[in-house]
Formats: sequence, structure tokens, C-alpha cells
Amino acid sequence: MTEPSLTFEAAMARLEQIVADLEGGKLSLEESLKKFEEGITLGKTCRDFLDRADLRIRTLTADGDAGDNSVEADDDDE
Amino acid sequence: MSFAEERIFAVGEINALVREMLEGEFPAVAIAGEVSNLRVPASGHVYFKLKDASAQIAAVCFRSDARRMDFELEDGAQVIARGTLTLYDAQGSYQLIARSLEPAGRGDLERALRVLIARLREEGLFDAARKRALPLYPHRVAVVTSPTGAAVRDILSTIQRRFPCVEVLMVPVQVQGDAAPAQIVQALDAISARGDVDVVILGRGGGSIEDLAAFNDEGVARAIHRCTAPVVSAVGHESDVTIADFVADVRAATPTMAAEIAVPARAEVLARIAGLERAAAVRLSGRIDGARRRVDAFVRSYALGRVRGSVEHAMQRLDHARHRAERATGSALGERRARSHALDARLAGLNPRDVLRRGYAVVVDASGGSAVTSVTEAVRVRDVHLVFNDGAASASVTGELARDAGQRERAVRGVSK
Repeated sequence: MTEPSLTFEAAMARLEQIVADLEGGKLSLEESLKKFEEGITLGKTCRDFLDRADLRIRTLTADGDAGDNSVEADDDDE
Repeated sequence: MSFAEERIFAVGEINALVREMLEGEFPAVAIAGEVSNLRVPASGHVYFKLKDASAQIAAVCFRSDARRMDFELEDGAQVIARGTLTLYDAQGSYQLIARSLEPAGRGDLERALRVLIARLREEGLFDAARKRALPLYPHRVAVVTSPTGAAVRDILSTIQRRFPCVEVLMVPVQVQGDAAPAQIVQALDAISARGDVDVVILGRGGGSIEDLAAFNDEGVARAIHRCTAPVVSAVGHESDVTIADFVADVRAATPTMAAEIAVPARAEVLARIAGLERAAAVRLSGRIDGARRRVDAFVRSYALGRVRGSVEHAMQRLDHARHRAERATGSALGERRARSHALDARLAGLNPRDVLRRGYAVVVDASGGSAVTSVTEAVRVRDVHLVFNDGAASASVTGELARDAGQRERAVRGVSK
């Protein structure tokens, strides 16, 4: 999508596919090992991504009036 | 008519009679009019006059009823007041006891809304079939709401708590007032144009039907419908369902719930990853067991001379596999190594050469057949090869020494069969 590397969603999907492939039992030992190694690497990638602690917030200001928005406070939620 | 027949009332008496008539005749009335002379004394009861061009009626709304009003009453407001007529004894004037008040236009608004809802439904904007699934793990979440309301605080704190690794794209808009619908449409179209947003949260806190007008706007409904990213609507309270909620891919009852729907919980995702890694380790372990069984079968089913090289090769491959799996597991899982303990244990036991090294030998039929696995078979074939860790020797079986008790029974049954 936006990132040049694998997105988190794609990495998770790949990891799930690998487990499914391993479960399928159709792979040679060598292929199984390769998949396993890739899976472990993907797991680490995903975990690293989740370790990012701070929410990044950007504001879309293309329309120009984003800065001086003067809306009154909403009613209470919940 | 004589004076004797004339009925003379006390003032209070006639007032009471008229009150009974009024209350009996008009137990429930709805009166449309303009509010004037509005007074709210310390008692909290609301006194006002309802008037039109040429007439007026006194009205009171008692504090307990006034508290339930969901709009600000003011002089000049056009309202529909519902209640009972009664007579105020002290003044001899009749008045309306208003049990409920609503802005006069509200009925029209609701009718117009029902017509619009029917039309959009007919057009298919609410079809369940066109609702898109939300991404499991969004990368960028757009939040279209007022930058100052409670809604934005709830949404941001919920995302921060659950899944802080996403990027939030704030798109500040007015959520009520005349400018609100156009701003919301512009925001949704800008998000579509970017094409890099995975899910949109569109919301505000609850409010009256007038406050929610922007979320009942046809233009907003169509902008949600054509938005390239799935939209989670979060308009106020459970009871406030708007057209935006009908069109949205998912409807959340509150802004907090919208954020919970839009992003997963980090802890759950971590558990999922751990589960997948464990499953991969278990599968690989099973795969290695399978390979090992095939090597064993191989050794048993061919003459030693012909398979020596292949067995050696298979052993090397398993050694190599074990090494690689250990390295991958060890380096990536680190302290989580305990979890892959089962895999390690199975890897360690799989090399047949380790078994031979510990002093065991494999007995193979010398006449070119399979591995010899029983005393009966050994006596029968007589000429065997003994496979050691470092080579093989030929031998002759000269007789049976002993049998395991359990095995004997089975052998006897096998012979007598």
C-alpha cells in the first residue's frame, strides 16, 4: 500500500498462509524449513511493528479552514 | 323563572365546576403556537403564553416535565405543546398544563427524513451486500469529526490504548450547523482521493434531530456510499440512528465503540502471532518426525550396501534441518524459546546416527531384505548384517535366547495362526 516494505496486514496474512502450507503437509522437508524460517522472521517483523508505542496523528489541512474550526463542543458521549 | 329556582354559586364553586368541565372535555390536547412571556422562577416550573396572531393562552410546564425537554425553549419559538386544559382557581383563568413541548417543525423534518430514507433504501444505498469488511489490521485510520468535541477525545484515547501503531489522519469538520454537510462531504471525498486510508471513522456525540441534521443529509449519505475506504459511523447514542448509520459499512453506537471496531487490540494480535509461531513450530516438528519415519522405513526396506549412501545423506539433511530450525527459533524467539521446547526436543531425538553412537545396532536381513525387528524373524533368516555407527558386520543367528513375556504371547498366536 503506502509503505514500500510489506504492510503489517500483508505480513500477518503471509504468516497465516505459511502455517496453512505447513499444515497442508505437501511440502518437502527443505521447503518446510524455508517456510518455517520465513514465518519466524515475519513474526518478528509483526512484533516490531506492534512495539511502536506512540500514536502518530496528522491533520488533513488541504481545505485550508482546518485550523480555525469553530465548532461548539459536542454533547456528551455515552 | 322564580328566584327560588335561581342557583347561586360561590366563586370557588363555579370555578371548580368549570375546571371539571374543562378537564373532562379536554383531557389531552396538542396546541401549536408561538412562545411568549417565558418565565422560569426558582421553582423550576416554566410559565409562558402560547399565542398566534389574535389569541393567546396561559401555559405552564412543571419542573419534572420541563427537565425532559430536549431543546432550548425561548420567546418566539414555534412549538407544539401537549397536555391538559385546566382552570387556575386563584385567577379564574384557564391554562394549559403542558406535559411535553417540541419544536413545531420537527414533525415536518421527521416526515421528510422518512421519505429520504425510503428513497435511498430503494436506490440500494443501505444494501447489506455492498457493505465492505473492515481491514483486520488497518495501517491508517481517518477520523472525520469535530476537533473540539468529546467524540474526538474518545476515539483517539481508544486507539492509543488498543492499537497505537496505526497512523491517525484527523480530518476536522463541523458536525452541526449549515456548513457541516458540505464539510463532511469534502472530507470524505478528500479521503477517497488520497487512496491511502484503510478505514474511516465518521462521528459526533449525540444530539437532537436538529443537531444530527448533517448526518441525515443526502449529500453526506452519497459521500459515504462512494468513499473508497470502509466507513464506521459513530453518531451519538444508541437511540440516535441517522441515515449516515444506515449507509456506513459498520454502525457503532458511540465514538469509543467505533474506535474499538476500527482497530484490533494489540494484546490480541500479539497472542495471534504467538499462536501462529507455535503452530508453525508444531507443524515443522511433525514434518521432521515424518522425514525421520521415512528414513527409518528406508533403512528397514533395502539391503544395507545399496542404501548406505542414501541413509548417510538423509541423516545429514536431518542434521542440517535440525540446525537451521534451532537457529531460526533461537534467534527470533529469544526468551520465548521455552515455547519451542517441544520442537527442540523432537529435533534432538531425530538423528538415527545419535542412536547408533550410543551403542545400538540395526539388524538387517543379509539376503537383501528388510530390517529384522523380532526374534522369530532373526532365527528364521539366520544370516544378518549388523549396522553400527561406523560400519557393518556380518553375523549368523544361532538360536533364540529369551523372549519378552508380552511378545511371546503375540509370537505364539502368530505361529499358531
